[in-house]
Amino acid sequence: MLEVRSLSVSYGARQALDAVDLAVQPAEMVGLLGPNGAGKSTLLRVVSGTLRAASGAVLIDGVPLDEYERPALARLMAVVPGQTLVPFAMRVEELVALGRLPHEHPLLGPRVADRAAIDVAIERVGIGHLRGRDVRELSLGERQLAVVAMAVAQGARLLLLDEPTVHLDLHHQVAVMELLRDLAVRDGVTVLAVMHDVSLASHFFPRLVLLADGRVVADGTPRDVLTPERVREIYRIDPALVAVAQG
Amino acid sequence: MSAGVAARPRSAARPAWLEALRHRPLLLAVTGLVALAFALVAGLALGNVSIPIGDTVAIIGHNLLGWPAEVTWAASAETIVLELRLPRVITAMAVGAALSLAGATFQGLLRNPLADPYVLGTASGAALGAAIALLVPVQFALLGFGLLHVLAFTGALLAVAVVYRVSRLGGLNSLTSVLLTGYAIGSLLAAGLAMTMYLSGSNLRQIFFYLLGSFSLASWPQVVVGLPIIAIGSVVILSRARILNGLLLGEETAAHLGIDVRRERLLLLGAATLITAAAVALSGLIGFVGLVIPHLVRLVVGPNARSLLPLSVIYGAAFMAVADLIARIPGELPVGIVTAIIGAPFFLYLLRTNRAGYQL
Amino acid sequence: MNTRTIGIASALLALVLLGCQAPPAATPTMAPTQTSQAPTEAPTVAPTSSPTASPTDEPTASPTTEPTASSTVEPTASPQAQFPRTVVDDEGTSVTIESEPQSIVSLTPANTETLFALGAGDRLTGGTDFDDYPPEAAAAPDVVVQVEVLTEQIVDIDPDLILAGGNNFTPPAEIQRLRDLGFPVVVTYPETVDEVLADIELVGAAVGADEEAATIVAAMEERIAQVTDAVADLPQPRVFYEIGYLPDIYGPADDSFTADMVSLAGGEPITTGDPVSFVIPLERLVDEDPEIIVLGDAAYGVCPDSVAERPGWDEMTAVANDAIVPVDDIIVTRPAPRLGEGLAALALAIHPDADLAPPTAGTSYCEVPATP
Repeated sequence: MLEVRSLSVSYGARQALDAVDLAVQPAEMVGLLGPNGAGKSTLLRVVSGTLRAASGAVLIDGVPLDEYERPALARLMAVVPGQTLVPFAMRVEELVALGRLPHEHPLLGPRVADRAAIDVAIERVGIGHLRGRDVRELSLGERQLAVVAMAVAQGARLLLLDEPTVHLDLHHQVAVMELLRDLAVRDGVTVLAVMHDVSLASHFFPRLVLLADGRVVADGTPRDVLTPERVREIYRIDPALVAVAQG
Repeated sequence: MSAGVAARPRSAARPAWLEALRHRPLLLAVTGLVALAFALVAGLALGNVSIPIGDTVAIIGHNLLGWPAEVTWAASAETIVLELRLPRVITAMAVGAALSLAGATFQGLLRNPLADPYVLGTASGAALGAAIALLVPVQFALLGFGLLHVLAFTGALLAVAVVYRVSRLGGLNSLTSVLLTGYAIGSLLAAGLAMTMYLSGSNLRQIFFYLLGSFSLASWPQVVVGLPIIAIGSVVILSRARILNGLLLGEETAAHLGIDVRRERLLLLGAATLITAAAVALSGLIGFVGLVIPHLVRLVVGPNARSLLPLSVIYGAAFMAVADLIARIPGELPVGIVTAIIGAPFFLYLLRTNRAGYQL
Repeated sequence: MNTRTIGIASALLALVLLGCQAPPAATPTMAPTQTSQAPTEAPTVAPTSSPTASPTDEPTASPTTEPTASSTVEPTASPQAQFPRTVVDDEGTSVTIESEPQSIVSLTPANTETLFALGAGDRLTGGTDFDDYPPEAAAAPDVVVQVEVLTEQIVDIDPDLILAGGNNFTPPAEIQRLRDLGFPVVVTYPETVDEVLADIELVGAAVGADEEAATIVAAMEERIAQVTDAVADLPQPRVFYEIGYLPDIYGPADDSFTADMVSLAGGEPITTGDPVSFVIPLERLVDEDPEIIVLGDAAYGVCPDSVAERPGWDEMTAVANDAIVPVDDIIVTRPAPRLGEGLAALALAIHPDADLAPPTAGTSYCEVPATP
């Protein structure tokens, strides 16, 4: 589904990504880990099209990223940022409705099919009880769920998330993670998420990619990737602090 | 912000009628159009000289709709209605529509509820252009527009162009720099304006009254030139309601939703500036409308641009026509004062009614 | 100007150049009234001079940037049978008046005064809210309120003639609109004393009161001559004509009308040093050191005793010698028939001992009750 070949990105003199390779299969759920400055977010931003790479290629379904038309790409790929700022009062269903932007009629707006997709997304994410509420009055966790619902409404087969559980309470952290797993397993959505919480990631992601200094250090199951030595070396902490899921 | 913040308290319930209106933008549109029609008729019927309403209707019907009728009214009445009041009402509506639409657009583009049509220095640019025109001893009249109008229009456009260049809207996430640059350029131009006013001597009065805004010099030639400009710019914006919706959550999100942010930003900015410049050239600087009408509409129907934009146009036009009517009946108050006096209390009332449900 | 007008103008120009005689010598700043003695034409009278036409014209040295066409004057042959006629106003616009105007709207207080002086006051159907002389002028409906021209009112009145003020006194856009609506609008903008006289003749021509205008102008010229004669041999003190005091000191700009008046009245005018600005810094005023201060703002309550109390003013000769005199600013600066008396008032303020009859017009301010 997603292929990253020899990707390199530099911010001025600093090499943020150094010839990174990554291949993600359809319906895979992959977590990107690494200390600050490892290049996780940079990688995500190149894949989502926000940032340009100095060299290397990103292919989605075998087609290079820059050969996609914007609306087509939007129907294929959705991005959930770490936090969303809402400047005006906006209802939950209105926010979710934005996900249909790449699908709806330019002038007439959401059609019957679009409205159905919005309703489905709201139910799928389980925020039906939040209908009619102002997004800005929700808890951060609820708001994040709404944004995920927007991505679901987009109908994308590739879901990119940038630190989706920061600022959330434990309940909603787990809720989001369970939702992602559900989407991958039931709907065949490919999930690629930058995670800052190593323990959480190890519990929910079948596959983890560990980055450090712009390079892929390890790629595999949580147990294989998060060995005590690696945790000590990369994160420079006592590995006992990290509860890695076994099996 | 700490993780796990508890949910904020539920908003106080909105009044039922307000809630019902939210889902009926069409009803609001029709009501607005009715108000517009009322404002048109009132604007034609009322004025400094009293003309019997029957005569007014007959004049309009006979001249514009081709009704056969015996001419029972004075020629001066016909002149007043057709040459003075009609272009004036139309200009007021066009300006009200333009300012409201531009305000809604800038608020959406800049994602800032405090944005108004003049936020990027348009006002200062136009004012400076007008002041220079009054200083320069050139008599110039083209299609009902004097040097004043041309320079005001040009000044408005140039100011925004400068702000755009200087703030280098190339990169995303530069909204703060745009706003600050707009403020800085605006201040610079205002200083230039003050200097010009100082040098202007007896023309100071003219500049001053231009700054307060007025429709008293509206004329058909101006309408013929100004209205198409406003119409074209408005159509460009209205057709891009979808884009403004996409921009609600930020430019990155908009890009991810498939929007060509760079191009659309330029188009929307250009169109909004164009209609603002035309409005300012037609009537001077009228404040408040461009800020408040979009907010009022948003309070009722929410941020969906597909409802917000057309309703802003309709209600902006109606509001301005009514404001101008009120301004001219007691003997020519500056219309900018009237818009503030009517609008502010009503806005406060609506904020109170909707208390917790809306934060600016 | 249409072709017919130009053709007739050229013909008249030729005749004027052939037949005109130099008038009696005038004082340095005064030009004789620009009356071109053209022979009587057929009932249709045509316009005459542009500024360069008559050799008797004195080129007006005014700093204005607009073309100051001197107004046209008609021959005085047969009264009241001279319409339709075309006059050229102070902006150089030719205005055709179809018949003797019976309904006249004036947009400046000066023109209103002139109308009444010409005996045409009964034909005034609309005036300004500042019309204050003669008292009956205030009775006319106001079509100008503050600076706003009530166009609807004017259209409703449907006048035969509108008199407007130049240099933005009446908004140019408004003048254009009234003309577009078909009204003849004559714009007056006198920048010197000569031009005031010319404007009275212009208005006279426009309303069909040429004889009355000539009479008024002659009387004004005589009074002005009286004044200039009376002060001719007197020393010329430095005079500061105060137009206002707050928030800045306002005085005559260089080459302005007020400066002109002070010169004629036998004073050396202290000006702001700028042809456009009316603001004079205190330092400059102290440096110029006026010997006499004339209070043009006396009508607003500024009287001589308050001047001495102003910080920094006591250094001036005028304050030391208590040579501070209030005048009625309106008759001194309003370009209307009372200007002659205004000049006399100003001259007497500067030269109290001049051999000159006191002004017969104007209000006295700051009257000090006579000590018993």
